[in-house]
Amino acid sequence: MEKKLQVKNLTVSFRTTDGKVQAVRGINFDLNKGETLAIVGESGSGKSVTSKAILGILAGNSIIEGGEIIYDGKDLLKISEEEFHAIRGDKIAMIFQDPMSSLNPIVKIGRQLTEAMILKGKARQRESRKNFNNYIAMLEKRMIEANEPKSAERAAGISKKCKDFDTFERTHLKLENAYNVAYEAASDASSDLEELIFEISKNSVKDMNERVKRALGLAAESINDYVVKEDASKLTSLIEEAKQALSSSNMSQLEKKLSEIQDILKKALALTPPNFFALGYYLTFAKEPLPNLPTEKFNAVLRKYLDDHYMLDFIKDAKQALIYSADASYKEKEKVIELLKKYRSVFEKEHLDKKECLETCKLLSAEVDKSIDRMEITKDSIAYTFSAALKSEINKYFNGIENNAKEEKNFAKRQAKYQAMQAKGKETNGVPIPASIIDLDLVRTDMLRQIDRLTAHYEAKIAAKKERDYDAETIAVVDYLKANASGVVNKVTKRKAKNRAIKLMEEVGIPEARKRYNQYPFEFSGGMRQRIVIAIALAADPDILICDEPTTALDVTIQSQILELINRIKEKKQLSVIFITHDLGVVANMADRIAVMYAGKIVEYGTAADIFYESAHPYTWALLSSMPDLDTNEKLDAIPGTPPNMIYPPVGDAFAARNKYAMKIDFERQPPMFQISDSHYAATWLLHPDAPKVDRPKGITDRIARMKERGKQDA
Amino acid sequence: MHEKEEILLRVEHLCQYFKMGKSELKAVDDVSFDIKKGEVFGLVGESGCGKTTTGRSIIKLYDITSGNIYFKGIRTGAGRRSYQIAINKAKKEYEAKIASAKESEKAKLKSELEAFIAEQKKQIASAKFDQKKCDKEYSEKRVAAVKEKYLPQIEKADGAKKAELQKKYKAELVKAKRTRLTTQIQMIFQDPIASLDPRMTVREIIAEGLIIQGEKDQEVIDKKVYEMLDLVGLVREHAGRYPHEFSGGQRQRIGVARAIIMNPELIIADEPVSALDVSIQAQVINLLNELREKMGLTILFVAHDLSVVKYFSDRIGVMYFGKMVELTTSDELFEHPLHPYTKSLLSAIPLPDPEYEKKRKRISYVPLRDHDYSKEQPTMREVAPGHFVMCNQEEFDKYQKILKES
Repeated sequence: MEKKLQVKNLTVSFRTTDGKVQAVRGINFDLNKGETLAIVGESGSGKSVTSKAILGILAGNSIIEGGEIIYDGKDLLKISEEEFHAIRGDKIAMIFQDPMSSLNPIVKIGRQLTEAMILKGKARQRESRKNFNNYIAMLEKRMIEANEPKSAERAAGISKKCKDFDTFERTHLKLENAYNVAYEAASDASSDLEELIFEISKNSVKDMNERVKRALGLAAESINDYVVKEDASKLTSLIEEAKQALSSSNMSQLEKKLSEIQDILKKALALTPPNFFALGYYLTFAKEPLPNLPTEKFNAVLRKYLDDHYMLDFIKDAKQALIYSADASYKEKEKVIELLKKYRSVFEKEHLDKKECLETCKLLSAEVDKSIDRMEITKDSIAYTFSAALKSEINKYFNGIENNAKEEKNFAKRQAKYQAMQAKGKETNGVPIPASIIDLDLVRTDMLRQIDRLTAHYEAKIAAKKERDYDAETIAVVDYLKANASGVVNKVTKRKAKNRAIKLMEEVGIPEARKRYNQYPFEFSGGMRQRIVIAIALAADPDILICDEPTTALDVTIQSQILELINRIKEKKQLSVIFITHDLGVVANMADRIAVMYAGKIVEYGTAADIFYESAHPYTWALLSSMPDLDTNEKLDAIPGTPPNMIYPPVGDAFAARNKYAMKIDFERQPPMFQISDSHYAATWLLHPDAPKVDRPKGITDRIARMKERGKQDA
Repeated sequence: MHEKEEILLRVEHLCQYFKMGKSELKAVDDVSFDIKKGEVFGLVGESGCGKTTTGRSIIKLYDITSGNIYFKGIRTGAGRRSYQIAINKAKKEYEAKIASAKESEKAKLKSELEAFIAEQKKQIASAKFDQKKCDKEYSEKRVAAVKEKYLPQIEKADGAKKAELQKKYKAELVKAKRTRLTTQIQMIFQDPIASLDPRMTVREIIAEGLIIQGEKDQEVIDKKVYEMLDLVGLVREHAGRYPHEFSGGQRQRIGVARAIIMNPELIIADEPVSALDVSIQAQVINLLNELREKMGLTILFVAHDLSVVKYFSDRIGVMYFGKMVELTTSDELFEHPLHPYTKSLLSAIPLPDPEYEKKRKRISYVPLRDHDYSKEQPTMREVAPGHFVMCNQEEFDKYQKILKES
């Protein structure tokens, strides 16, 4: 399974006037593609801090003490704010807990939804243009280089081919866009009409005039060469008749006309679309008129024409270029591995030399840069980010050497003054804040890790050299060019953004989206507001969705709708979801895997079935039994007390003080993670082989028995 | 059990409309129910369905539009809209009648109409009086009781004893004058952070009601405050602290203490656990349960978390868009839900059981699809003893059949 996100040993603290609060204390987890990971715990357990660290929006007084968050080969804790802009909201999106405070109260919903789309649209357009031009230029160069035997004539042919790609791709996109607009209009009109016809037959339509007119307008928009073509004139006359029936308020006539229109649209929607890519080429370069054939044959003819005249040649050349470029880069990679091994010793010394380190870094960076195969579509992010990561570690190290002593001295001075004042019994203003000291050893090991990681990565790549599938890669290249070309042509206009926003609003279940588009957040109910926040999060098509208690403020029906929505979108777009909540019922619904957090640590980690049926940590038991379900009659088992103060985290197990199964060792030493099964881990001394055997509380065993019973009944 | 049969609160045809520009928002529309002494009555429904408005209308935070609220048999809330509507309707009817009637009967009809209008206007006046002055009547009664108790004693006593009695009498009299009937209904709010004044200490917050009522003796106040703190599971030292120094569960406990210090008979708990963590939720529910046993409280529990409501309430009313759609005992509601909205609500409850959750299918409620009210409008009908459903005759027969079969 593809790992989308890995969190390793993440430790986050907050500096406050009372001292350092250790919010997250070394947590590890990973997130697979298309999976939901739920993080469960009480408020203050560090759930939200973890999610904010992933998104790089921690508060200003936070200190990231260590660890890594690896996304797409990058360490999110190390990259610059500029680089984060490309990820935050675009690749990793977040749904916040309180919809009211995450929406701007004085800006209309529509603008808030489209804002990002338009901004990103412009940026994407620029970027696509750049990508397309760069890549095609590079491809052209490599194609000519790889071509044997070399001749000026052949080179000119290749250059022309590359230019042609751009030209006919534009025609293709214009056609396809027009088709998409018409098709969407047809499908929207069809569903609107269905609703209207149903309501007219029940005799309870609201805003009839407006809605009928809109549906008819959409139906009219659907007339296109490839959607409603033959019936176009019939459709136009039907629309006119329906309008007349509406103005004379002849209901039966209107209903009849509307259903006729719907029949036409349904028929149009069932048609297979032509192959626009091939059609674009045909229309641009072929001299003959378009063949008049049924769609399947029509497509086949076009495809063949494209392949014969252009595509097969292009693919052959492109593949050659790819192989040529890859071979060149493998040689460089081998060289880099040697260099890395050679210069590793520079960073192993007890005391690093600044000049030497920077020089080595420069040298290595240049070599690594050379070794990157720029023809690869999926960028090798470890290699790309190597030099920046190494340099930032080096800077951190030498900054630390310079500043640590000063900070410590300063702190000691203030501390002494504070204590003197206290001893005299005078009033003091606040407590001195501990110095922020950089752990030099940790930084040095991080440097070495960067080097080792790249070495291992390159070695793995060279080992997998033979298994590379150049055919698939060539096709990916063509797709990449297609996608970027579409980015160039697809300008996100306000109107387009609006249409997309309205579609998104409908997708997340906001009725009358068109009307709602121009309203302010305060005009929406809590559930609706949360839907808008979800729509905004989804507007950028993210890879990872972080949901920070998205349904806590909502009631059951809305909650259930929102969960269904997230689940549906997750499946459709293969999203990875991190779901943060304290409601175990919701978790059971959503999660594939669950991490239970307490006092900044993960205390239990496993699949949903592991946690609910086989839970092993006393804290999980307490959480489960403090929640009533529909069959609970006995007194609830509330967890006594409150979570510990994380300025002074307990020496032993943080949950010991509230745990009725606590043993002596719980107060003295922190339990390690015990593995229970392949997927199930828990950090409690109860799992130690020497520990006394403790049964789960009766409430939980009863409940599990009841669940099993119910499962049998249902089956 | 006969104590349970005594009706503490009766709500009749309660309507609460809000003005929204030109139109009106019917937040609560024709809701009727009784709450018996000592029971917990749950009110559920999605947000915006009027649960909270119902609670707030009962405690007279709003002037109700129409309908009556009786607390301990005294009308504490009365709306006037229904009488006005009756007058308008009668006027129209009589106008038509008069137009078509003979000359000789016209005078009679006119006087009939006038009599009817006068009757309705009297009703309006009485409703106005009850809405505003019911407390006055109640406090007058209390004053009379105090006078009756003390005056003969004072006359008999003499010297120092007399002075002491007089002092006591005056203090009691102030309290009696200031006592409001509605102080016997208290409210616990949803958000413990927003409902506590951040600049008052816990002692001030809890004692505020007593002070308003005219209690001046600091010792008595302190004693009562400590007693309440004890009752809700906080310690005396907490009295001097400020709300921000407490955790969410403890804050909600302060809210509870503030409500029960007035020694109320009815508590309106407006989503008291919705904003809390699971573990703290359990603490607060356990606390309310204990208090209910200790003090014999009656509770109107407004919430949207159905598993909590089921655990806590004796009877449950389900609301949908300002209307009560089903009302019955909590077991009956979960075993035999009849109204399609109730069914949809029950199908949305998430349970801590992944296997079940994977299979759970939410039933959606579309009023237009689920009901056919083109012939007959629905009314509240008793399908089985104690089980009320909003339905028309056709549905009524269907529901009865379903109940018989099960």
